[in-house]
Amino acid sequence: MLGLKATMTIIDNSGALLAECVNVLKRKTGHGLATVGDEIVVVVQKARPVSAVASQSATALKIRRGDVRRAVVVRTKKEVIRPDGRKIRFDDNAAVLINTKKELLATRINGVVSADLRMKGWGKIASIAPKVM
Amino acid sequence: MATALLNRSLRRPGFLPSIARTLSTASASTSSATLPSTVPFVQNAIISPSAVVLQPPPRMDRILKGKGLMAHINQTLPSPQAKSLLDTLFNRSHPDRLLPGSVLSVTTQHAPTNFSGVLIGVRYKGPDTSFTLRNIIQRTGVEMTFMVCSPALKDIKVVHRAGGGGGRQGRRIRRAKLFYLRDQPAKMTAISTSIKRTQR
Repeated sequence: MLGLKATMTIIDNSGALLAECVNVLKRKTGHGLATVGDEIVVVVQKARPVSAVASQSATALKIRRGDVRRAVVVRTKKEVIRPDGRKIRFDDNAAVLINTKKELLATRINGVVSADLRMKGWGKIASIAPKVM
Repeated sequence: MATALLNRSLRRPGFLPSIARTLSTASASTSSATLPSTVPFVQNAIISPSAVVLQPPPRMDRILKGKGLMAHINQTLPSPQAKSLLDTLFNRSHPDRLLPGSVLSVTTQHAPTNFSGVLIGVRYKGPDTSFTLRNIIQRTGVEMTFMVCSPALKDIKVVHRAGGGGGRQGRRIRRAKLFYLRDQPAKMTAISTSIKRTQR
């Protein structure tokens, strides 16, 4: 249940560490809250310093504080109900950065992700993740 | 609606043999239940219970009025496997019930197929009974709630029973819901490492 001003950790190796939700995309409901597998627009609040090599290169991924990017929610603190009645709840909110073409910006993900990603069509993210619950 | 429920309960596997036993007129010495013989020229015809004319439950008229309907549904709706779980592990007054603080390992049909964790709460609601397990996976706390009567739930293994004795087993836990474990990472890491050790 992530809406405007919700903070989440970024669990890929793109360089961003913490992000704040600014908009929830493609959500037909009026309340505009994102759950696992929803695409959101985030502002990067904390990022790792961009390495000297990357800052000189034109093509390398440069994520800085204040960047506005898109992300996919992969873990929520609010429990998500599976079709057979099971519920899963994580201790924090987490997301991974993507581009407008729904491709991952980073190359690796570290941490658990929710298996509901597969049901929402993010099988690529679920396959890269080290642990899918 | 009540007739649909009745039809469903009559199709339960345990229902007909119990009727067959009550209708049997065989002596106590015979081991197998022989039914009253409707086959001519044969003394002890063993008629399969499926051939018995179905009798509705003794208080069907009450159930159709709605009296005792929920008790009837609670008895007949869960599958036999789920009913055995509800009668022993997830029964409020059974001596072998699972106390919060027990460590369980659950096998399910869908992903994740195996989940182990400490039982932090049981919600006793008859056929809707559910329980929550908590574990730390890759430095993130994960809680999963399972429905006891779900056919997707294949197996529940008790890794460590929470007892009341004290001593090596530890003091009795004085809560029904252990939500305080969410704020105690030290206790949770101890529990999760012990789970990992037992799984190896």
